[in-house]
Amino acid sequence: MLMDLHTTTLEDVPFLHVRGEIDHGTCASLQTVLDELFDKGHTVVLLDLQEVSYIDSGGLSVLLGGVRGLRDRGWLGVIGPNANVRRLLEIVGLLVDRSFRVFEDQKVAEAALSQRTPA
Amino acid sequence: MESAGQSFRRSIRVKSESAQLATVRDFVDSVGVELSLDMERIFDLKVAVSEACANAVEHAGRDGAFLEVEAGLEHRRLTFTVADSGPFRAPILPRQPNQSRGLGLPLMVTLMDEVCFFRMPGGGTAVKLTVLI
Repeated sequence: MLMDLHTTTLEDVPFLHVRGEIDHGTCASLQTVLDELFDKGHTVVLLDLQEVSYIDSGGLSVLLGGVRGLRDRGWLGVIGPNANVRRLLEIVGLLVDRSFRVFEDQKVAEAALSQRTPA
Repeated sequence: MESAGQSFRRSIRVKSESAQLATVRDFVDSVGVELSLDMERIFDLKVAVSEACANAVEHAGRDGAFLEVEAGLEHRRLTFTVADSGPFRAPILPRQPNQSRGLGLPLMVTLMDEVCFFRMPGGGTAVKLTVLI
């Protein structure tokens, strides 16, 4: 299965909906979208991973790169990674990164967004 | 599940390009299902085999090159061998703490019970990824 990606917003935060498999062959489009959002100055970005069945080091590199770019300025949040994807996020160290957050579902993510201190 | 010692062989040959990684993962999935492995173990194998293939595509990929992926089960050791015909490549380690690339090898080592790299007689690289089942 290939990857499908579209962007909406949640409150004022870019909200990326990803479906399918994020691998070396498909991760470039995710990288492009994230780069554009960072270039526009966004410091909080949400990714819905509930429909993502697989991620490899290509996709993990994109997430790590995004998190590093946001360090001390903001965070990258993912919603609903399945247990296998979550295990890989842990192996590469994302789960202990201050600029990376995991939310069980959209409701929890919305609560976190509403608690942000105004810039 | 095959009984211990009984030989089991499946293989697939694909073009050495990243668009074929999903095909390789489907192959790994089919082997895992055939051997009645649990879904988590199948996922780990898919990641590790796909990473080995991605390395081959990235470093040995040239037009018309192929990857051979073979699964073999002997004595409860399931081994996937990924072989390419490019020049031999030593495994790549992450170079810097801030370097996002080079995650493939740590993932393979973490998820598998054994990871071996071989220089093929003809000069290509073979990666053997083994789990004990």
